[in-house]
Amino acid sequence: MIQDRVSPFKSLLKEHTELRAQVNTNRAVTMLNGNIVSNLRSEESGVSARMYKGGVYGFASGAEYSDENIRKVILAAEENANFMDSRIKKNKPMLPTVGTGKKELLKDVRDIEQKQLINFAKEIDEYISKTYSDLASRTIAIRCDSMEKLLTVSDGFDSHSLLPRSFVYIFLTANAKDGTPVELYKPFGGFGYFDEVFEKPESLHADIDSIYTDLMKKAEGVYCDAGYKDVVMHPDLAGILAHEAVGHTAEADLVLGGSVAVHNLGKPVASQLVTMVDFAHTALGEQAPLPIYVDDEGTPAEDAVLIKDGILTGYMNNRESAQHFGMKPQGNARAYLFSDEPLIRMRNTAILPGKDKLEDMIASIDDGYYLTKTNNGQADTTGEFMFGVCMGYEIKNGKLGRAIRDTTISGVAFEMLKTVDMLSDDMLWTCSGMCGKKQPMPVGMGGPAIKCKVSIGGR
Amino acid sequence: MKTNKEIATYALDALKKSGAEHAQCLVSSGKVDEFNVDSGEFSLMRTLFNSSITMKALLNGRKGVITVNKLDKESIDNAVCDCISAADSSVVDEAEAIAPKEENEDFISGVITPDKNKLFDRIQEFMDDVKNEYPKIVLEQSVSKYSNTESVFMNTNGVNYNYTRGHYDISSTFLARDGEKSSSFNGYGVLLDSLDRKIIDVGMLRTLLEESQNQIDTVPYAGKFVGKVIITPACLMDIVLTALGLFTSDSTIIDGTSPWKSMLGKQVASDKLSISKKPLDPQIVCGERFTGEGFKSANMDIIKDGILENFTLSNYASRKTGFPRALNSSYNLFVKPGEISLNELTKSCDRGILLNRFSGGQPSTNGDFSGVAKNSFLIENGKITNALSETMISGNLIDLLNSIIGVSSDTICDGYSVLPYILFDGVTVSGK
Repeated sequence: MIQDRVSPFKSLLKEHTELRAQVNTNRAVTMLNGNIVSNLRSEESGVSARMYKGGVYGFASGAEYSDENIRKVILAAEENANFMDSRIKKNKPMLPTVGTGKKELLKDVRDIEQKQLINFAKEIDEYISKTYSDLASRTIAIRCDSMEKLLTVSDGFDSHSLLPRSFVYIFLTANAKDGTPVELYKPFGGFGYFDEVFEKPESLHADIDSIYTDLMKKAEGVYCDAGYKDVVMHPDLAGILAHEAVGHTAEADLVLGGSVAVHNLGKPVASQLVTMVDFAHTALGEQAPLPIYVDDEGTPAEDAVLIKDGILTGYMNNRESAQHFGMKPQGNARAYLFSDEPLIRMRNTAILPGKDKLEDMIASIDDGYYLTKTNNGQADTTGEFMFGVCMGYEIKNGKLGRAIRDTTISGVAFEMLKTVDMLSDDMLWTCSGMCGKKQPMPVGMGGPAIKCKVSIGGR
Repeated sequence: MKTNKEIATYALDALKKSGAEHAQCLVSSGKVDEFNVDSGEFSLMRTLFNSSITMKALLNGRKGVITVNKLDKESIDNAVCDCISAADSSVVDEAEAIAPKEENEDFISGVITPDKNKLFDRIQEFMDDVKNEYPKIVLEQSVSKYSNTESVFMNTNGVNYNYTRGHYDISSTFLARDGEKSSSFNGYGVLLDSLDRKIIDVGMLRTLLEESQNQIDTVPYAGKFVGKVIITPACLMDIVLTALGLFTSDSTIIDGTSPWKSMLGKQVASDKLSISKKPLDPQIVCGERFTGEGFKSANMDIIKDGILENFTLSNYASRKTGFPRALNSSYNLFVKPGEISLNELTKSCDRGILLNRFSGGQPSTNGDFSGVAKNSFLIENGKITNALSETMISGNLIDLLNSIIGVSSDTICDGYSVLPYILFDGVTVSGK
């Protein structure tokens, strides 16, 4: 656990200054066909300071966590803020206040031995190799990361926070009849230390069986017919839709940069069925996948409602952008490493469930696709988005047909969301991914099954 | 322990005393000064004092690797224990090894003494140039930094390389806006070893800024056709690296799923295609001098006149599979230019698209790809016409590399790579 060396410096922090000590850990084991190709432990830690002066920031960081280096980092941040202020002279006012207080650590800081991860990977590998000898390749990747932060701010909430995540990724490859490789993967896991998330390797066997079954169907699958199609997206895709297609365009720094959301505040951007929220720490009565209580500017975190009944109602802000737009900062300023400055980031972004049943949604489509797994996604400031789809099925006359090969779907968010006419009454959360935006960042995302129209790639 | 070499020496000695038969160590330290521009205005100056040590230990053929960013004795002692413990938990793999001793060498590259004020002035000038010459452009974010690093690699076979380097790194994301209409965002990055030139004159920046202004009004492609695509240097790097990752890298050669696994020395692409990795080329800024495994880097051909000359394997994968290891592990790609100008290449395209950015799903190991054509234009009868939106392209990377119609004589250097424009055939273009 990080020793508190930062709070004694609170009285020295000028203007608006954040002083943050942080430790990020990564534990990785990768087994490729029984070979341990990665057996890695890493840790990055240190202290940083960021000072706001007249509309610009100065930032500095260093790895050494000593009183002497903390003083050096504060001084360097101040020098940088003064340099920028003297050269630019924006003369902007102080940042808005957000109250004061302190949030203590809610979870014990721990570590997991590499041996435990390696043994888990070996047992999973053994199960797959014995059970499914016809596979062309198998990879088990275990990834555990954690982010512990100790924050002291000149004005705002101090906090001590911890975000541990643990995941097992299973990648299977089979050869199709024509000899070409076909692959499928699925991540398992979520918030918590490895032994809190995974009880024993056997608990994943049924899921591995399910991946294998899907992979065999995919190996005999067909290419999609490219074009503009009716689809049902599995809840696995709803989260990435919420995050990529809408979430990024509603980040206030991208709004200022010219995203499509700049001219749509208060306007209909989706079907009335659609409500979308970036949850802070509690969602629908339960802990969100990656709970954030205070952000890295010392702002207490609360939910940001982005779309309410189809109307764009808000942006995600840091203190500076909230001041610009006349909105309330809600705790979206997050930094990845100790050496990173806080950026406007999502936390746990979700489309809320509706009232429909998945089987009714599939039955309502004559000619389309049921898309069940995604492997990546990107969005544009125009709202144009794409997701890689690595598993899915044809829908013909309201019934599931043949499996499909890898494809990509795309659309323009605020047009596509207006085509949403059914939402399932359940939802699924994931938090296995990293959002990329100058810095990586763990984020949670979720949603129900969605029926809508998108463009689909194919042959 | 004051110098990186003293730290590396201490860590190797500690690893050996803790039972490692073989060990290696990379110690780096340096400083970064960074200026950020957001929404067209200066927003942040950032100073980072960086340090890291990565150590690898082999214990009875079992490997452990650890990276930490603190270089004090206590942190290194803890890291050594952790590294040995990780190795002790691993499984025996005869392919694990460390690099043999070659002639040790010290390297220096790039600009060692930065000019912070000149960098600030060049960024200000870039912002003014964009405002004056491309008035519809919004610089969404521009990150400009000077980085210097001193790295020391040592292993228990006596390998010892030192590399001192410094460079400027400029990257910008931008879009064009006119009233409520805007273009897609685009991004471009360059590495520089001097600030002698205006930023706006480097690489493809001017072309991309001008094209973004012409992408405010777009037309979604209606229908579907199989046609041609000119991939620009701004996009070619991603396409080539994706293909090399799928067909020539460790994972797919080790597990045997690469479609090129038995193609070494054979034709895998059009004879118009030659791809090399050249970190030592003078056009590359601060290229790799030694690999992470401790081998001195050398330039290498990967595909020459369509023939697969080399995979891009690590020493581990090489020992695992029996194929030669790559002579460098850089991303410094060179694609050999052709003899036809970009203008003539465009004229020879009857129906297709000019692709500046590809936003797609992770392609399959069999090479199938599909995604959205971003910042791209339709080409009709040899002329660039409408800017496109909501237009998807799909195909197969192996087929694509075998369907090259022409390679431009024009090349673009961005400090990382030197790449031409390539006209490919057989890509499915589809819209609403």
